[in-house]
Amino acid sequence: MSEPTPSPLLSRIRFREAGTLLGLILIGVVFASQSPTFLTTPNLINILQQSSINACIALGMTLVIISGGIDLSVGPVAALSAVLGAAMLVAGVPVPLAILGALAVGVACGFVNGALITWGGLQPFIVTLGGLSLYRALALIYTGGTPIFGLPDEFRALTNGTVLGIPNPVIAVGVLAALAWVVLNKTPLGEYFMAVGGNPEAARIAGVPVTLTKFAAYMISGFMAAVAAMILIGRLGAAEPTLGTLWELDAIAAAAIGGASLMGGRGSIIGTLIGAIILGTLRNGLTLMNVQAFYQLLATGIIIIVAMLIDKATSSKQG
Amino acid sequence: MNPRLSLVGIDKTYGSTQVLHGVSLTVQPGEVHGLLGENGAGKSTLLNVLFGITRPDSGSIAIDGGSVTINGPRDANAAGIAMIHQELQQVPELTVAQNIYLGAALRRVGGILVDRRAQETEARRLLAPLDPGIDVTAPVRTLRVAQRQIVEIAKALRANARIIAMDEPTSSLTPNEFERLVEVVAKLSAQGVSVIYVSHKMDEVFRLCTQATILRDGRLVAQVPIPATPVRQVIELMVGRELATARHTGFATSREVLKVAGLSRGKAVRDASFTLHAGEVLGIAGLVGAGRTELLRLIAGVDRADRGSVEVDGQAAAPGPRARIKAGLGLVPEERKRDGIIRHRPITTNVGLPAMRKFSKLGLIRNRALKTRAEELMAEVGLRPLDVTRSIGSFSGGNQQKAIIGRWLAADTRIFLFDEPTRGIDVGAKAEIYDLIERLAREGRAVIVVSSEMPEVIRVSDRVLVMREGWISATLGPGEITEANIARHAIPAS
Repeated sequence: MSEPTPSPLLSRIRFREAGTLLGLILIGVVFASQSPTFLTTPNLINILQQSSINACIALGMTLVIISGGIDLSVGPVAALSAVLGAAMLVAGVPVPLAILGALAVGVACGFVNGALITWGGLQPFIVTLGGLSLYRALALIYTGGTPIFGLPDEFRALTNGTVLGIPNPVIAVGVLAALAWVVLNKTPLGEYFMAVGGNPEAARIAGVPVTLTKFAAYMISGFMAAVAAMILIGRLGAAEPTLGTLWELDAIAAAAIGGASLMGGRGSIIGTLIGAIILGTLRNGLTLMNVQAFYQLLATGIIIIVAMLIDKATSSKQG
Repeated sequence: MNPRLSLVGIDKTYGSTQVLHGVSLTVQPGEVHGLLGENGAGKSTLLNVLFGITRPDSGSIAIDGGSVTINGPRDANAAGIAMIHQELQQVPELTVAQNIYLGAALRRVGGILVDRRAQETEARRLLAPLDPGIDVTAPVRTLRVAQRQIVEIAKALRANARIIAMDEPTSSLTPNEFERLVEVVAKLSAQGVSVIYVSHKMDEVFRLCTQATILRDGRLVAQVPIPATPVRQVIELMVGRELATARHTGFATSREVLKVAGLSRGKAVRDASFTLHAGEVLGIAGLVGAGRTELLRLIAGVDRADRGSVEVDGQAAAPGPRARIKAGLGLVPEERKRDGIIRHRPITTNVGLPAMRKFSKLGLIRNRALKTRAEELMAEVGLRPLDVTRSIGSFSGGNQQKAIIGRWLAADTRIFLFDEPTRGIDVGAKAEIYDLIERLAREGRAVIVVSSEMPEVIRVSDRVLVMREGWISATLGPGEITEANIARHAIPAS
């Protein structure tokens, strides 16, 4: 097929992703000039490894945001999947089964969120804000507040292993990102996400299964939170009921930096991935430069706001 | 004596359409003056000019003989003009007194604190002659619409208004509440306040007004004394234009494709029954608020009916838009931006949205097939520019409408439901939309067209249902479709 003339819309998305990538490269260049260890293969792999959990959460968050919602409950959902999954592992449930069980917990939480939002008619912000406390409380009550130790080596090997030098979690998140990209860009469901987020009433009149679409978004988000939980407890070797605190904000930041509009209807999987890597790079680089944690936080805040200002300035010119 | 208000030679052009042609309006002190005309005759624009929301291109406004310049609602208020909007502009959570003094609060302690007690005393004094039953400390949201109107009138009097314009004030009033309004208007008139009363309802105009100005197509037709002028003559002046020039061609067959029986929803649609045939174009005429849009939404499954059934090809259609689309129905909504388009998405996906499954294989969208089909359809409907990868939001209203029509063509829709198909569309594209509607009928599809523009209804329809206050008040067959007939059944008679 001959290359079609680039449409304003397509070029706008590519333009946005290219802009995010440029930001990442810029940050990389600065760190490379300041720290000799920054631009080494082990460190770059380390960055990807450190970014993988946030990227995983952010992928689900991106789909939710595109569909016009928000999921503030991802951290506690991860914690609940983690402790229940860990409990199964410790109790001797076969590893694949325990992982499936943990993922099912995440999907179930997403289902509850979706049910309250669609059938209950509540606002996503409120529902998932409630979920934020609720799922955390369940995790704390179940464990009595103490971490679950003694995860089998067989399970830990999964998350600590590498393929061709690349950590398994990075590969897993890469595969999930590819799947999310296909879902968003190549399937009717992806089109429905964008339609429902862009104009829910018009989508309904055009015959889009709006309820189903919203359920799908929150269940995918819950699934991704559970995957992130598995990666984390595998690396730590323990499941803390308090894990995942503030994950939702990192994920929203990654999605926003990557071009997702919190008004819904727009967003990009590739952009979100780059966004997550930007946040990971920032933390890694600033640590290498021995910058205090307080200033790291400051830098993160500034990067998010600057990214949004650039986005605003360029998108109004692009139309 | 100088007239209280005189507008002279008001012109207003939006883009390429002139909506007011040298319109003049003269209102005497204490006069209740009707402002009449069909939808789109220019009444709202004229009111907006008076209230400073719209700047006229030329013309002058004088109050009590003195020329005034009105550049905004504040100027209008200062000049003694108040407007009671159809959608009341109040803050529901604030009290009656607070709303009356909104933006002009009484103050104490050197202007720092709002003097609520004084406001409440004054509000009570203002309301006493109008409706002493209204509690000035109650939040406005707890009041009925009729009472809220009274509060607006009190607010106008608080601002010393000498001219109060009421835009369709009775659209949500009961007959008793209307009687109350009649008393209030009489009191205003006795105090020397002039009232401009905009309404479609002849009986009301004849009850209240002593003079009426009639607009048609943005021109002043006549100013007539009331009730000396017969109702029939007033209606004729309102609608009596040359008939639409393009001739209607019919393709109706006798094969019934849609049967609506006893469809009802609240007071909006009451017991609507009719049938529609393949190749037929059925117009639905009536005033704004007569229930036409609501009826269309019930048929399309967008809203749920309280009672009644919709049958397509003799089979009862399940509720919900998805089921109705599957049955072969497709709604082309009036509010394209709100109900039609997904603004940021390209034409392709906007067209393919209801038929995504048809354009998919193994769960993946066949983008090339979708693009080819969209291009084919958009060439047929005449999308300009013919670039289906551009976001739909970047196209003009007429082209967006063509894309929505294409959407239903892609979904093999057999029954098209158009709600005001040419609203917000320029004159050239209008003719194209009419041709498209005719083409749909020629292909054997059935079409319903809800329209407030009489020439449009007459141009496209084989048959016309007239709606009035939720009821189908008449069915007009070939030979009976005239503006006079439609108006007679559409306007609640005296």
